[in-house]
Amino acid sequence: MTGVLEPLWRRVPTFLMARRNLARARTRTALAVLAIVIGVVAIASLGMFGVAFKEAQLETIGEIGSDLQVYASGEKDPAYLTDSDVQIIDRLAGDSEIVPLKQRQSRTVGEGSGGVTVYGVTDPESLYEVRRGSIPGNWRKGALIGQTFADRNDLEPGNKLELRRTVTRDGQPVEVTETYRVQAVLQDEGQAAPARPNDAVVLPVEQFDGEGYSQVIVRTDGATEANATAMAIRDEFNGREELINVFERADVSEQIDQAFAQINLFLIGIGAISLVVAGVSITNVMLMSVIERKQEIGVLRAVGYHRMDVLRIMLAEAALLGLTGAILGTAISFAVGSLINGALLGDPLAFSAEALRYAVVGFAFGVTASVVGGLYPAWKAAESEPVEALRG
Amino acid sequence: MSLVTGTDVVKEYETGGETVRALAGIDFEVERGEFVSIVGPSGSGKSTLLNILGLLDVPTRGTVLLDGEDVSTLTTAERTDRRSETIGFVFQSFFLVPTLTARENVEVPRLLAGEPKETTRRATELLERVGLGDRLDHYPDELSGGQKQRVAIARSLVNQPDLLLADEPTGNLDRDTGDVILDEFGQICEDDDVAVVTVTHDDYVADYADRVVELIDGSIVSGADAEHSRGDRRA
Repeated sequence: MTGVLEPLWRRVPTFLMARRNLARARTRTALAVLAIVIGVVAIASLGMFGVAFKEAQLETIGEIGSDLQVYASGEKDPAYLTDSDVQIIDRLAGDSEIVPLKQRQSRTVGEGSGGVTVYGVTDPESLYEVRRGSIPGNWRKGALIGQTFADRNDLEPGNKLELRRTVTRDGQPVEVTETYRVQAVLQDEGQAAPARPNDAVVLPVEQFDGEGYSQVIVRTDGATEANATAMAIRDEFNGREELINVFERADVSEQIDQAFAQINLFLIGIGAISLVVAGVSITNVMLMSVIERKQEIGVLRAVGYHRMDVLRIMLAEAALLGLTGAILGTAISFAVGSLINGALLGDPLAFSAEALRYAVVGFAFGVTASVVGGLYPAWKAAESEPVEALRG
Repeated sequence: MSLVTGTDVVKEYETGGETVRALAGIDFEVERGEFVSIVGPSGSGKSTLLNILGLLDVPTRGTVLLDGEDVSTLTTAERTDRRSETIGFVFQSFFLVPTLTARENVEVPRLLAGEPKETTRRATELLERVGLGDRLDHYPDELSGGQKQRVAIARSLVNQPDLLLADEPTGNLDRDTGDVILDEFGQICEDDDVAVVTVTHDDYVADYADRVVELIDGSIVSGADAEHSRGDRRA
């Protein structure tokens, strides 16, 4: 292949000489290239991994950013959202759907007894997807259970579910046990899902005694609308005192974004260290080469090559090492990246623009590290005195 | 006007806190088309003189005029330019670039000058002239010592120099091959009006020269008795 390209190489004599020099010590050149390859792969594929990891996590967390959670603060009296509060929220939410929720803690009965969150909802279809069984049209009793909860307690639609909780009667705490028939098992939801069903029991709101709702979820169409609604609700309820808290999912989504940015920075940092090492190895290889070729460089200087010419030839060598390493490294990074994408996202070719950016960053760092690593040896070669070099 | 004129040229080195005087104030002249042989034992200062003639080194005191120009006024970069314009070098150990073919080695001094076609044409012509027309694409390790030295001579001529400096050009060659090389130098002097200055401690090289300059302990001497006082310092 090089034979075909020879006329091309001859057009850039600096690179011709550089390439021939590199071809002289093949093993050494190959090892120097390998160091760059490792560095580039480290940066690019760690970056791609970070991106794919983030996307995979976001898939798990689910759609976030457009939901609001509204609940009473400690200063509100009564310390829950009343029916009229819910009506006001509904009005402020405009077209957006609102889901009032009740919530309490119970314990399961029998072997492996443990705590379980029980939600009371009026409109389960808007929140959940049914996996097995079905939600009766006129749903007034019977429980819906999350899939994780069902698996753990070995429950199927039609089974009986016993829950125990503590209530206060006549000022005395009393244990009561309630029995429900399981109507449906619900699909697990991402972490950001409101009233997440996975490990919970969902009951008709009628099964809750007492007034008011613990929270209202407002499902808007997007983060901007969510924010506007949140402001409207705050304005309406909160005067001098914070009676109502509105939790914007968009805040979380920003925090999550930041956390992932930091994780990626850390990964890239590790990659960058390996490229610094690669740069040092380029320095080492080229210093050896300069020492070996001392006389040759002396001859070049004697026959009229300027210091800058010698410097250019040496830097061209470093650049060739870097380019070769960066090209190979980027190619390998895409291979590694497609494996990562396949494993985390289920699609080997799911490269995002961000992932491609890391490939470019890796490539650029690879070439830069080489050239910077070559600076000192090149300078040393250029500075050597021809008289000294040619002696002996 | 002489090609090179040296007046009271002194060169001193500092080694280990001691000042070594390699050239002790010598006067010399080299004319165009002249074959000069500098002889003397090792340590007599002949390599130092050659380095000064080749603008690789500058004298500590005294003046050297190249084509009437005082070389001590030149910057490093200017001296490099003068080297490529007017001076060719031939070394005892040839110093060919092992990764380049014979022709590419000859091209080396002009490689960065652009006009690659002209350079290739000239390199080919020079190699044909020194009898290596059939070895153009051979690498140095595929050539004999004499052939390598002929490649080196072709390289030294590629920039059409006025002065060719040869440091022990036959030192690594057998006698017959050495004769061929020395004939080549004689030809160059006559055909191209190039001044050839060789450094040697081989007396027979001196036989080819128009003029012999004998150096001992940094001074020019004449007479046969110079041969007997061999120093052991390196120049």
